[in-house]
Amino acid sequence: MVDIMTAQNMKFEEAICLVLIVFGQAAAATAQQAAAETGAVTGPISGYMDFHLNKPEGGDPSLDFHRFVLILNHSFSSRIRFVGELEIEHAFVEGLEESGEVELEQAYIDFLITRSFNVRAGMLLVPIGIINERHEPPVFQGVERPFVDTVIIPTTWFEGGAGVHGEIGRGLRYRAYVMAPLNALEFSADEGIREGRQKGSQANVRHAAFAGRAEYLGVPNLTLGASAWHGTSSIPGPTLDVDVSIGEADVRYRRDRLELRGEFAQVAIGNAERLNSAIGQLTGISPNVARAMRGYYTEAGYRVWANGPARDLMAFVRYENFDTQFRMPDGFVPLKEFARSAWVAGASYYPDPDVAVKVDYVWQRNQSAVVKSPNSFNVGLGWWF
Amino acid sequence: MQARWWIVAALLCLETGTARSQTPTPRIINITAERFSFTPSEIVVDAGEEVELRLKSDDTAHGFRVAGTTVSVVIPKRGYRGTVTRLRVDEPGRYTFECTRMCGAGHNFMRGTLIVRPRTSQP
Repeated sequence: MVDIMTAQNMKFEEAICLVLIVFGQAAAATAQQAAAETGAVTGPISGYMDFHLNKPEGGDPSLDFHRFVLILNHSFSSRIRFVGELEIEHAFVEGLEESGEVELEQAYIDFLITRSFNVRAGMLLVPIGIINERHEPPVFQGVERPFVDTVIIPTTWFEGGAGVHGEIGRGLRYRAYVMAPLNALEFSADEGIREGRQKGSQANVRHAAFAGRAEYLGVPNLTLGASAWHGTSSIPGPTLDVDVSIGEADVRYRRDRLELRGEFAQVAIGNAERLNSAIGQLTGISPNVARAMRGYYTEAGYRVWANGPARDLMAFVRYENFDTQFRMPDGFVPLKEFARSAWVAGASYYPDPDVAVKVDYVWQRNQSAVVKSPNSFNVGLGWWF
Repeated sequence: MQARWWIVAALLCLETGTARSQTPTPRIINITAERFSFTPSEIVVDAGEEVELRLKSDDTAHGFRVAGTTVSVVIPKRGYRGTVTRLRVDEPGRYTFECTRMCGAGHNFMRGTLIVRPRTSQP
């Protein structure tokens, strides 16, 4: 796997073949171990929902059933398990994505071999950041997910692929996957790499992407995480390979009623100048894609009322800084309205640990003297079952 | 008369001591479950040692099962009373414990190891 991870321009099929060899051996071993077991188990169904009222400053309020997610699971045996996550976004779906989306966010099989070494294949969540793999509404503060986990790290980020995961010793966890890369033709000045997600839908895998994450949970109440992602996006026509790398680090800490978390992420895009030219030729508009994007946030939450179910209230404040025009290629001027920061303050009331009633206010700022980022008032209801 | 009371007290002490040696107080191990980990995720016991597991959750309800044993319990949600169960494994080895109740995207990561050491012979 080390060789796989260091091969910069390995073809996707070569990488996936190597993973499948490991996968095949693991599957055989797992099947032997599972042979004596009987009694496959399906379900029960679980899931989460997210319902929002958003009122931007100077605009009309909107009511949005943002996410309706059902999670299905089936254990072929205790060692071979399927997990699927099907999501409807924005309640109503028609031809164009602007209306709503049906997404297959997860659909994989785990071959659970040992605690330190397991194999996973299918539609996978990219193991990066705090939110992408922990996005159930009661788990994070704020009606909407953090901006950094939306604009810099494009949650929810999922792609087809395969890889390994496990935990070594007392709390050192890892994930290492080979996945489909991003589509650089969809990169933009305001949303960065977000629209480049191929979402496992007939994804172009001329080159492989590699994603890895390490987490240390050995100290009680503390989680340290670091993630890396590297992929090459291949653009047809006059062929252009665009290397994209993402580095990320995060920390979560909890003591008594206090919860702290922080995250830093940076994106580097190679050949950004030529990428802008290529997209400009195709669309007639230069997208002003940066060669580097950066974001970070810190958040403090305090459980002001902590007397169990129906008496559980957490107040929080979060500062975010996110810039999708952080470093520009030669000859390109950054658009200052996309160098943004935000203060988010609010509270979450838990009538049940799996039900969160959220309210917050977002003060957004940017460096433009002309274009203003709107503040907003938000109310949300989210639940897990 | 006083000597008789001393004899009764001595017999009582002897009886209590005998009972104690027959049913030693189990070692208590506190385990906290949270999406998507158990803390601690590695537990070491001696073969034949009886331990009391006190399990609580910091968020949603989780399951706790030790593969190869009869231990399989539900850990109630945060704010509810935790679960207490006893565990005794006679065969040395490594046993996997895991969450058995779907708790989110990282549910399958939620596993730990019970290490059962061979019992050292008493001098």
